[in-house]
Amino acid sequence: MGAGGGRMHRRSFVRLLAGTPFLRDFQMRSDIPALRVVSGYPASAKPGMPGPYPGRVVSIRSDTCVDTSTGAANDEVVREMMARGMRTLTGAGTTADAWRRFFEPSDIVGIKVNCGGYPHCVSAYEIVADVVRQLMGIGVPVSHIYVYERFQDQMNEVNYAPHLPEGVQIVAAERANRNVDNSGYDPATYLEADFFGEDDTRSNMMRLVSRVLTKIVNIPNMKDHGATGVTGCLKNIAYGSFSNVARTHQRGKSHTYSVVGALAAMEPLRSRTVLQIMDGLRGVWHGGPFARTTRYVFYPRQIMFGTDPVAIDRLLLDIIEKERRARGAISIWDRSPGSLRMDDTRARDADPNVNIIIREPGHVEYASTLGLGVYDRARIVIKDVDVP
Amino acid sequence: MTSLLLLALSLPCVYSAQSVDSRATLERAGIRRLCTEADLAQREALPAPGTAPRAGLASPTRSPWIVASGWRFVRHPGTKYVYEVPAGKAALAAAEAFAYGADAALRIDPADARALGEMLKFLEALSSVDLPPVSDLAIVDDGSPITGEVMNLLARRNLLFDVVQTPSPRYRINIRIGAPGYPREEAADPSAFALRIRRQLTDDQRALRVYGSEVVICRLTADAGRARVHVINYGGREIEGLRIRLRGAYGNGEAHVAGGVGRLALQDQVVADGATEFSLPRLTTYAVIDLEAAR
Repeated sequence: MGAGGGRMHRRSFVRLLAGTPFLRDFQMRSDIPALRVVSGYPASAKPGMPGPYPGRVVSIRSDTCVDTSTGAANDEVVREMMARGMRTLTGAGTTADAWRRFFEPSDIVGIKVNCGGYPHCVSAYEIVADVVRQLMGIGVPVSHIYVYERFQDQMNEVNYAPHLPEGVQIVAAERANRNVDNSGYDPATYLEADFFGEDDTRSNMMRLVSRVLTKIVNIPNMKDHGATGVTGCLKNIAYGSFSNVARTHQRGKSHTYSVVGALAAMEPLRSRTVLQIMDGLRGVWHGGPFARTTRYVFYPRQIMFGTDPVAIDRLLLDIIEKERRARGAISIWDRSPGSLRMDDTRARDADPNVNIIIREPGHVEYASTLGLGVYDRARIVIKDVDVP
Repeated sequence: MTSLLLLALSLPCVYSAQSVDSRATLERAGIRRLCTEADLAQREALPAPGTAPRAGLASPTRSPWIVASGWRFVRHPGTKYVYEVPAGKAALAAAEAFAYGADAALRIDPADARALGEMLKFLEALSSVDLPPVSDLAIVDDGSPITGEVMNLLARRNLLFDVVQTPSPRYRINIRIGAPGYPREEAADPSAFALRIRRQLTDDQRALRVYGSEVVICRLTADAGRARVHVINYGGREIEGLRIRLRGAYGNGEAHVAGGVGRLALQDQVVADGATEFSLPRLTTYAVIDLEAAR
């Protein structure tokens, strides 16, 4: 398990990108850093990502799911959207049967939420509560359901507990984003890379993910992101399940292009993440992943369902790009030096035509080269459903 | 800033307080090795250890700028030093000096008396272990400030170096600032220079690595049978689960952690590929880890 060496260990391997079979039509970039993956967990026969529905996305829309004057969600409408989404995705006759396609009563289920957009755009209480309700409805014990994030202070702000049944475990790996709590991470499961000469070259998977959970439901939001272009399924599950990931982007440069997909593809995370529910009740079109003000909040009023994180994120790229275009903001694909105000978050927050880092929305396509899903828009089948 | 304390545990200590009250405060804290103002006159002043923001160079959550003096102790082991530290820093300064076996005195704020007293008690209780320091490379000391700053940045990255007067055949890498391969212009950016040395050495060949913090500096001493790692936390916040990798195979080990934590077992210890890794469950300001070589 030595760092940086070329010797192979039974628990480690170097992902040799040029040797993967997914690269037929993909122009590999030359600036991808060497990434060394160390994990003792084998892939399951049918990994959760892209799962049983590669290239398939169900989008449930409702004009009444959110009151856009207040931002408040309508719980009854959201429940109906959730039920329709799961039945449409699976083709099951009942909502419970739809959930049984993914989960068994013996499972220990993690719900990966996103709390970074507090207070205006986080994984909705109504959606998280419905997931818990459905899991309990098919027999998963309440004590086997974990709502998780990386940082406890963010979880405290969002405070899911009053919205969930007693007994649901609400956990985080670190007290706050201070780089002092490592006990919540698995020392034997990590990605090693030297991006900018940082001394700590490892990003470790949460122990909860590697050692406790058997299945994961991923609930990202529809958000812009200053380093990745958007933060959707891939970014939420990857950067939300590993330590020491902020080191990948600084001083204008982002290595998220390759690292988001590489982390999402690591076992056992890849095998155990079986369901993607993208919360698009609310969205953020600039300044993400944060949403401290409503200035950049918008209301897609939809929830997307699938097992393929790449396909959903491919659609998210278009959603954020369309909203930015409508608002007169630069493209998420903009790489011009003239738009870059390195590390100047105030300028970024004040002006949607400012980047603080060259964004890497190409991370979604890159993830497809790792076998995580379908990127080609023409090969993605979208089922749109409107709920009154 | 009223109290003076001679730290070096092997030296006689004398006290000279500016007031009877401060002397009493120190004595209540169990601090008995005291010195006079005159004792401090010939000592080289040291900055207060810790972290400091530096615009454009570091940020609190990534790579904070560490103010540390270990490199000075390695460079000039015979020099006598004095720290002048504000409240909250005395225990860290004491630990830093102890870790390097430095002859250092402390000028402290009386508010630190209790914390310092506890640290000194902890240090005195540690078993005495006299092992040679481990180094991965040598740096030829020309006495220049720029060479000192390179040493500072090497230490900051936990790149273990020996200070020599001429290149030593014991080391694969001998750095002499100004020599071919190590131009003075490059050393003018000591952080980038240290990174280049790290890459020349390669991480795999390093005797010691630290994962899980950017504000911890270690000193490693070892012989064929055992090793002692001094672990100094400059960040001011307790760290959980710090991961340490040592080149070589080690078996039994235990940690002694300051701040009232005491003895702790090492966690998740693995020996593989010519290295030993383990996690330190808790790190306050300072810890000592003792390991026996695997048989």
